This record gives sequence, structure tokens and C-alpha cells, in this order.
Amino acid sequence: MKKMKRMAALLLSGVLALSATACGGNNGTPQSTTKGGSTTNTTASGGNNETTAASGGEESITCNLLVWTPSEDQSPDYGNWIQTQCDAFAKEHPNWNITFSFGVASEAEVAKLIAQDTEAAADVFMMANDQLTDLLPAKAVARIGGETETFVKENNSDTMVESLTVDGALYGVPFTSNTWFMYYDKSVFSEEDIKNLDTMLEKGVVSFPITNSWYLPSFYVGNGCTFFEDGTNPDAKIDFGGEKGIAVTNYLVDLLANPNFAVDVDESGIAGIRDGSIKAMFSGSWSYESIKEALGENFGCAQLPTYTLNGEQKQMYSFAGSKAIGVSANTKYPQVAVALARYLGSPESQKSHYESRNIIPCNTSLLSDPAMAEDLLVKAQNDTVANTSIIQPFIAPMANYWTPSDNFGKSLRNGEVTHENAAELTEAWNTNMNTTIVDN
Amino acid sequence: MGKEKITGSMKARKFISNTIVHTILAIMAIIWVFPIFWVVLTSFRAEKGSYVSSFFPKSYTLNNYIQLFTNTSVLNFPKMFANTLIIAIFSCIISTFFVLSVSYCMSRLRFKMRKPFMNVAMILGLFPAFMSMVAVYYILKAIGLSEGAMIRVALVLVYSGGSGLGFYIAKGFFDTIPKALDEAAYIDGCTRWQVFYKITIPLSKPIIVYTVLTSFMGPWVDFIFAKVICRAEADYYTVAIGLWRMLEREYIDNWYTCFAAGAVCISIPIAILFIVMQRYYTEGLSGAVKG
Repeated sequence: MKKMKRMAALLLSGVLALSATACGGNNGTPQSTTKGGSTTNTTASGGNNETTAASGGEESITCNLLVWTPSEDQSPDYGNWIQTQCDAFAKEHPNWNITFSFGVASEAEVAKLIAQDTEAAADVFMMANDQLTDLLPAKAVARIGGETETFVKENNSDTMVESLTVDGALYGVPFTSNTWFMYYDKSVFSEEDIKNLDTMLEKGVVSFPITNSWYLPSFYVGNGCTFFEDGTNPDAKIDFGGEKGIAVTNYLVDLLANPNFAVDVDESGIAGIRDGSIKAMFSGSWSYESIKEALGENFGCAQLPTYTLNGEQKQMYSFAGSKAIGVSANTKYPQVAVALARYLGSPESQKSHYESRNIIPCNTSLLSDPAMAEDLLVKAQNDTVANTSIIQPFIAPMANYWTPSDNFGKSLRNGEVTHENAAELTEAWNTNMNTTIVDN
Repeated sequence: MGKEKITGSMKARKFISNTIVHTILAIMAIIWVFPIFWVVLTSFRAEKGSYVSSFFPKSYTLNNYIQLFTNTSVLNFPKMFANTLIIAIFSCIISTFFVLSVSYCMSRLRFKMRKPFMNVAMILGLFPAFMSMVAVYYILKAIGLSEGAMIRVALVLVYSGGSGLGFYIAKGFFDTIPKALDEAAYIDGCTRWQVFYKITIPLSKPIIVYTVLTSFMGPWVDFIFAKVICRAEADYYTVAIGLWRMLEREYIDNWYTCFAAGAVCISIPIAILFIVMQRYYTEGLSGAVKG
């Protein structure tokens, strides 16, 4: 590496020239292709998009499509999900001669990979909805329009659609929701107990990742604290200040002092479930297999409980988002790419994704399927999305929220926050997360 | 009498100071070895997950190593290992050759740009490597090395291409070899190249070992360039990316102990190379000049 920098620096002049041209190219193309991507479906440009679902009547296209998914989707251990789906998609479109190639990119970091080189990025990729924050400024994701947009809106809950909508434009075909909920040991807590956190704390040890800013606001939102009004107004603020925030901070100080409460940090929650020292924890569907294995028959999961604040029942709320199939704004074959995105977001596809990898579907008709509705995990996640969650804001000022909140969580855990200074520190935290550290 | 007394107290004092020094050294050695020892222990740990409440595992197993090398569908460690080994071998050969050649030129030849070149090299060495990573990516893309199997070539280039500029240490070593040896060889009819490989190289084993080791280790420990150049092409990941991925949210619970096993595994080729080459460290100029 040391040596590398020297070579590179020697080539500096060449580099500058090259990257300058590369940037020039980048700036030009995305704009025009974005337009292409969005218009493809709204107008009949190309003349074939109205018939995507039917097999006949399509112009013949020969193309290479690059598809990026998490590696599990390509793994034989999980039934080669994406390869199977792409083959089935190709069969539905006999006139399209598509050569698929696959790359590995996890939903949570796909934006970085795409932004590195938008031209060489995948045509179709899977993303978590918060990736839009980075993808949109990079002009790297195509707007979904026309028939596909209608399909998405008709088949998904409003939460799902909103999580992918920016300024009225839809940017992906959702295939699952993304949130966290409660796992618990059925032998310890009854159906009645799990409705309230404080009742649970009387019966067994509950672990909560209080130092993680993705989880921490759960209590605050329950007591009327808000993010940018409804989560979308960048001119509004994050409002955790005043009496409502301070009351929750005081509650959390007491909570941390409770011997039956454990802070879940560095995966200590799962370890506690395994050795039996922890009876309930909060996490998402990615922890399902480990927890199911540890609890066996006693496995339980449910939407978030309420907590008792000064005698009143307050609901905990999690951040909800979605995972979606996105289409590159730079793809050369927008109609094929959008059709594939739609195919991968179809109920059949979601069903096989669930069967192969426990990816919980979000298609509303699929969810009302009795077999699906009875599944504990599906029920817990969807109840959470429907009843005990808010959409995780992904507007730019939200970037200032995370670090101060992680730090506040840590202060809580370390006992630096007490009843005496709760008011002062809560206000300071509120100011911090509304202060731009880095200019966006 | 008096003399004996003095020696006696000297001895005692020496014993005390030795004891203190050795105790301190022992404590520091333990502190240094501790993390490595812990990684090795973790690699044999039977309990899953990243969080444990005890330092010593409750039970031991080899399954982590077995899983690491057999469970290849999601994170293909053997392939990453092979990739890295190939890249490391090639970049090691190329950069060792580069470094030694440049050092030899700088040490033995006199030419007009010598001083300015050395200064430029020194200044370029002050820039952090990752400054150039995006530029390097675009250069590699422009010459068609950013996709498919060419990624391995690209990484070899990245790790070895600029190595010649790291000549300072080797040059310093060459400077210590008496010029009289070169001159004797020239009188006997050697060319410069022959002097290089028949006289200088055999006398410079310690520095060759050093160069080989550092250039071999580069690809094993570099993360940034591998990540930028491999992007989504999982087939060409190096171990650094693989190990990093094992600690991502989705994998950490299942792969944590395998991660430790992987960390132990990548130290093996480096350790082998070191053990093989170590004996040359002590050799060197001994017996070169016989007066």
C-alpha cells in the first residue's frame, strides 16, 4: 500500500486527466438516462412497456444485465434464489435474450458501491430504503413509473410505498419490510405479559440495545417526540426537547437501574438468550435463526410492548423501512431492468424468497394468505410495521441524528445521566442532533 | 576483603535490576501476546456468537476451521485465500525485484537526476495511499482491468507497481557494501548486471528477506484497495474483505468464531515465509571481505 501511493502519485497528472474525463462522462449520462428510465414506463417509448406482463408482442432485445444482491440470494445453500428467479423471468419473455451476471452487494451498503462508479454499477440491485439518501444525489437510481408504479402501490401497504417515495416519485419495488421487534421466551412471559415492558421486567430479564441510535428513539417517539414533523419536512426539526423528552430520559434512568434490565451491546443479547440469562430482547428478522435455535419450543416474537410512564401506557415505536429492488439510472435497457425489478417484487417471487431465506414478504395479498399470516415471525414483523413503528426518516438532515444519539445512549448506560441532570442533558442532546456537523 | 564486598553488592544489585527488568519485559510480552492468544482461543471456541462472558471458552472444537473451509456458499473463504495467495506471490516477486533494482541503481550509479529523484520519491512517500484510490480505480477501469479475472492482475499491479519507490532502506543497506568488491568484480570483467546478481544480491540477504516479507504481507492486510477494486465481484475478494464481511450485522453471530479461525489461517503463509527466510537475517556481510 505504501508503495501504491507512490506509484499513484507519480501518475498524478494522468490520473487527473482521466478522472476529469470520467466525471465529465458521468455528469452527462445519468441525467439523460434517468429521464429514459422514468419515461420508459409512463410513455410508450420503445413501444413495448405496456405489454411487459404478456409474453408476446415484445420487440426482441439482446442484452446483458448485471444484478447485485446479497450473497445469500446467490448461494446454493438458499436455493440459488436470484438465478432461479432470473431464469423464470427470461422464460416469461421469450423475445428478450438476456445474459445475466451477478455481483454481491448487501442491501445496507449498496449505495456506496454504486456511487463509486455509477456507470459500471448493476442494472438491477437490492437496497435498503435509506440508501436512497445517497443514491438520489448521485443520480444513480431510476424513478419507477407507469404500470409498475401502479402495481407497487396496489400491492403494498402505504408504509412500504412511502418509505420509497421522495417528492412524490417512487424509486424501487419493495420486497420486504425492515424493522426490529421483540423476541421472547414463551415459558417466562405470557401473551398478556408481553403487552407491557414493565410487566415483563417483573418476570424476567429483558435486554434492549439502548446504546444504538436505531433503537433508542423507540421510547421517546412513544411519548410524542417527533422527527421532522411527519418525518419528511427538512425545514422542521427533530423534537426531543421539553417535558416529553425529559420524562422519557427519567424513565430510562430508572430502567437502567432495574436489575432485570440488561443493555444489549456487542451481541450480548443473543449470548444471553443462549445461556438463559436473558429472557427477551429486541432485534430484527436477521436474528431469527439464532434465537429460534436457542429457544426452540419456547420461541416467541411479537410487536413492541408499551411501557408505563408516570402511570400512563405509552407505546414503543421502532423505525421501519423497506428493502426494495432498485433500477440503475444508467442502465442501457430500462424496460428490461424495470420489468425484472417488478418480477422480483412480485408475490410469487416474494413467496419463494420467504421459503428460501425467511425474507418476510410485504405484498398485501400474500400477507393475507392464512399460511403466511400464522407464521410467528411474519406476524411479528408485520404487526410491528403496521402498529408500532414510524417510517425511518431518510431526508438529509437525519444524518445529524445518529452520532449524538449513540453518544446519549452511551451516557445513559454509563450512568452519566441521572435524575438531576436529565433535563439539561436531554436538551443538549436535542440541540446536538439538530446541528449540522458536516455541511450537506 | 573490600574488593570482594564490592563485587558481592554489585552482583546483588545486578540480580535485582535484572529481576525487575525481566519482570517488566515479561508483563509487556504477555500484554503483547494477549490479543493473539485470545484470537487463537476464540478460533477454537465451541460457543457461537461474538459475545462471551468468560475469557476461556467453555468448550473447544475444530468446527470453526471446518466451517470456514467447507461452508463456501455465502462467504467463500478458500477462494479468497487462494486469490490473496496468488496476488501476494506475484506482487512479492515483482516488487522485490523492483525495490532491489532501484536501490542498486541509487546506491551504485551516479547520474544527473539521482538526487532530485530521491527527493521526489521521499515527498511522494508522504502522501497517504488512499488519496489515490478512486483515481487508481478509474485508471484500471480505463485499461480494462476492473472486471472479471483481470481484477487479480489489477491488484498485483496495485500492490507491486509503485514498490520501486520504497527503495530507501535497501539503498541504505547497499551503501554499506564496500565498493571495493564491485571494483574487483569489474576488473575481473563483470558487467553491472553481473555485479548486481553475483556480488550485491548474495551479500544482501537480510534486506532481501525484509523486502520479500513486507511485500508479501501487503496484499494480506490491505483492505481499501481490494474493496475499491473488487466492488461487487465476490469471486475475487481477498481475505481482508472476507474477514470484514464476516463481522457485518447479518453474519457476525454465525461467523464470529470462523472469523477468528480465518485470522489464524492467514497468519500461516506469512509465518511459513518468515520461518524459512529468518535464518538469512543473521547472515550478511560475514565472510564477504577477506582482506
